[in-house]
Amino acid sequence: MKVRSVQHEMLPETTVDDRSRQAAVVSLRRLLNTQVRPRNVELYEREGRPAWERRHGRAPETAEEIRAAFFESRRYRFWSATHRAAQEMIWIAAGEPVFRDLERLEATAERLASSPERRGGLELAPAGYVPPGEVADVDIHLQPGGYAMTRSARDVACGALYENGGNVFAFGQGLGKADSKAGAVIRHLEGARPGLKPRRILDLGCSAGGAACHYAAYYPDAEVHAVDIGEAMLRYAHARAESLDVRVFFHQMNAADLRFRDGEFDLVVSHNLLHEIGRDNRRAMMREAFRVCEPGGLVVHQDVPTRFEPTPVRQVERAWDTRFNGEAHWSTYSGDDLLADMGAAGFPPEALEETRLDKVAGPGGWYLVLGRKPG
Amino acid sequence: MKAAEAIVTLASLTRGPRPFSFENREAEEVLNVALALLVELGVAFDRIDRLERLLAERTGISLDDLRATDYDGAAGAERQAARDALMARVLRIALDARVPSDGRG
Ligand SMILES: C[S@@+](CC[C@H](N)C(=O)[O-])C[C@H]1O[C@@H](n2cnc3c(N)ncnc32)[C@H](O)[C@@H]1O
Repeated sequence: MKVRSVQHEMLPETTVDDRSRQAAVVSLRRLLNTQVRPRNVELYEREGRPAWERRHGRAPETAEEIRAAFFESRRYRFWSATHRAAQEMIWIAAGEPVFRDLERLEATAERLASSPERRGGLELAPAGYVPPGEVADVDIHLQPGGYAMTRSARDVACGALYENGGNVFAFGQGLGKADSKAGAVIRHLEGARPGLKPRRILDLGCSAGGAACHYAAYYPDAEVHAVDIGEAMLRYAHARAESLDVRVFFHQMNAADLRFRDGEFDLVVSHNLLHEIGRDNRRAMMREAFRVCEPGGLVVHQDVPTRFEPTPVRQVERAWDTRFNGEAHWSTYSGDDLLADMGAAGFPPEALEETRLDKVAGPGGWYLVLGRKPG
Repeated sequence: MKAAEAIVTLASLTRGPRPFSFENREAEEVLNVALALLVELGVAFDRIDRLERLLAERTGISLDDLRATDYDGAAGAERQAARDALMARVLRIALDARVPSDGRG
């Protein structure tokens, strides 16, 4: 199943003009990403750094100073302002059809979730649960209202925004319809463990359930569970999975504090969660992933490849998202020793692997850290 | 929900600061308006393209011929006048007779 290309009932009705508008934003972002942004480091060397040096009488050293030196370049400022505007326009272009069609989407979700033919489920958090503010209170990558926005007991807007905005975003990165993070991880796992056939899979930080549905479709005999923090996101994810006719059980939980028993799963995965969770919760999440994994099972965390940026200047260039794209935890993610954290979570060093994965389709790659639980 | 209400809702749900990059925040806001208009221009061009294709299909005139049709004479003069008016409308600020003054003080 190519998760980005599938049609399902939880997608909003779009007009030709909506699709034109989204295509225009994709074009703008593609131009910025392929023609403009790649010049940033050169602009830094040619304009930003010299101007900063003239002002301060020495070379910039700290990340903060390098960041300020980037902004000495007029053309860098133009890129930054335009890139920010393009990111905001993703949400308008993708979100307008969502809100226009929201009543139908809510009714559809209700019907799918209560249908006698439903295959998976949705478990909300018990009373008193508060989603972690480090994520819930920030509009991460500028999604209006953030990941935990829930405006009523029928609301699905957050999930619909996430999926539709995500598609516009991915196409602007040059990723096609065939791209899939789960696909890249499955390919790696099958290379490392031919014949792997997980029985119980847990997906942490599942958002709209794209990866969880991919696992459920790929391993039809496995029972797939998926966790995220927000009610409306998960209500959408569940309805979407039902509409795709795949069986996934969604749970509203903090991944750093799971309500599962020890050793319940033989494969625990996370996709793009490491960079969107604070350090303490990330470490606790790694411990929890280890705990709920059965002896002999696998824990796999996949994320963006920013950790491989070779120089401080390039790291700062990538860290633009921290301030301008609501990526509050981006720099902690890029700088921390995740192998050490996995070790502290319980994995012995010889059971750990850290690697760069190729994408299934499209340019670039992913970061991957994998642990095998001894036993 | 109507389109305008959907857009206003989306804009009102946003949270947190809005960091700007230009030296002048107001200039950056104008850039945002220009970029949004660029997107809308893309939408309008797509629409014109669709109509041209439809017209070509319905009339049997080839798309190339349709697009290569250049008006001269009266029609050409009419287009030029419309173009002149468009420029004047858009560049009205450059034509304004008043002397700029700082209205904040
Ligand atoms: C970029 S999204 C990843 C989405 C999805 N896995 C995918 O690949 O499309 C990160 C997700 O992690 C979730 N998240 C962040 N902190 C979390 C936590 N402590 N517990 C559970 N989910 C969390 C966010 O709510 C968000 O939906």
